[in-house]
Amino acid sequence: MKTLYVEGDSVLHRLPPRVKLLGLAAAGIALFFFRSIPPLAVAALISAAIYASLGIGLRHSLARLRPIFLTIAVVALFTLLVGSAEEAATVLLRLTSLMLLAAAVTATTGIGDFIDEITLAARPLERLGLVKAADIGLSIGLVIRFVPEILDRYRAIKDAHRARGLKPRILTLAVPLIILTLKNADEIAAAIDARGIRAQK
Amino acid sequence: MDIRFEEAEARFEGRTVLHPLTLSLSERRIGIIGLNGSGKTTFARMINGLVAPSAGYVVVNGFDTVQHGEKVRAETGFIFQNPQNQIILPILKEDIALGLKSRKLSRQESDAAVDAVLDRFGIGHLAARRAHELSGGELQLAALASVLATEPDILIMDEPTNQLDLKNRELVRRTIEGLDENIMVISHDLELVEDFDRMLLFHEGRLAADGPPADTIRLYRELAR
Repeated sequence: MKTLYVEGDSVLHRLPPRVKLLGLAAAGIALFFFRSIPPLAVAALISAAIYASLGIGLRHSLARLRPIFLTIAVVALFTLLVGSAEEAATVLLRLTSLMLLAAAVTATTGIGDFIDEITLAARPLERLGLVKAADIGLSIGLVIRFVPEILDRYRAIKDAHRARGLKPRILTLAVPLIILTLKNADEIAAAIDARGIRAQK
Repeated sequence: MDIRFEEAEARFEGRTVLHPLTLSLSERRIGIIGLNGSGKTTFARMINGLVAPSAGYVVVNGFDTVQHGEKVRAETGFIFQNPQNQIILPILKEDIALGLKSRKLSRQESDAAVDAVLDRFGIGHLAARRAHELSGGELQLAALASVLATEPDILIMDEPTNQLDLKNRELVRRTIEGLDENIMVISHDLELVEDFDRMLLFHEGRLAADGPPADTIRLYRELAR
C-alpha cells in the first residue's frame, strides 16, 4: 500500500501534528471570511509556498494534486456558468488554497499521528457516550490510507482497458473499481478484527 | 493450546462450506491441507472467531469464539493470505504500534515492543519503510511481526508462502521453523508442513484425514489426482 506521507525534514514535518491540524482548521475557517480576489490570491500564493517548502518536486506534486484540482476546476466552472467570473475566481482561489494546505499537512503527518490526534479530539464525544473515539480515529486514518490505493487501482483498471484495446468509459471503470474497493475493504476489516484493533478504547 | 470444535458447522447463503466437525487440537505445530475450496480457510477463520459457526461451537483456550470474541482474538494471531491486507498502516513501525494500542502502553514501552519484535525477525532496518516498498518475503515477515507483537498463544497462517519466489519462500520457511509459538499453517506448500506434529486434510467441506503428516499427505496426493 502506498501512503500520502512524504519523508522529509521541513518545518512542517517538525511541527507537532496537533498544531498542524488546528492550523489547518483555522485556515479553513479564515478562508471563508475573505470574499474578494486580492486577499484570496495572497492566501493561494502563501499556501503554494508552504507546499513548495516540502520539496516534493513539481512533477510529483502535480501527480498528487491533479485529481483534486480537476474537481475544484469543475466547481469553479459551474460557478462561472451560474454566477460571475469574480465568484468563480473566488471559489477557485479559496479551494486551491485549502487543497494545498491540506495536502501539505497530509504529506508531513504520518497516519499513526493522525489517528492519535483525531482519537484524542473525539474523546469528549466518547465521554458523552456518543461515539468510540478510537473508532473515529481509525476510520479517518483508514480514509487517508485508502486514497492512494484507490487511485492505484483506478490506474490498473485503466491500463487493463488499454491492454485489451478497450476505450475506458465511466461505467466500465467505476464498476470494477467499486467492486474491488469493497472487496479489499472487507479484507482490511477482517484484518482489523483479527488483530483486535477495534477492541481498543 | 487447546482448541475444541463441537459439531461446529459453517454455512454461507444456504451452502455448507464446512460440515459439522468435532475435534480437539493441542499439538504445537499443525498443518492444514486440501484442494482449493475444501474449507481450510473457513476452518481456520472459525478458530479466530472471524467466522461464527452456523451450528455447534468452537472453544479456544477455554473461550467460546462467539461469546468471547475479543479474548479469542487476543489468544490467536492470524496471518492472512495476502499480507498487503494484513498491514493496515503503510509504515511498518506505525502498523505494529497500532496493534499494540489495546495494551495501553506508554509511547516508550510501545516503541520498545516494536523494536523488539522487528529485531526478532531481523527486519529492524525496515521499521520506517513503506509496505509497498517491501519484497514478498519482507512483507510476510512484517505481517508476522505485526501479529506476534501482541504475543498470541496460537498463530494461524493462511498460505504464508503463496506467491513467493524460491528465495523468499526459503526465508519464510526458515522463520516459521524457528517460531516457538503454537502454530497452525494452511498450505499448498507440502514441504513447509511435512514435519509438523499433526496434519488435517479437508476435502469438499469435510475433514477427510487427521493424523501424521506422511499418511495425510499421501491421501491428499491421491485425492488430487
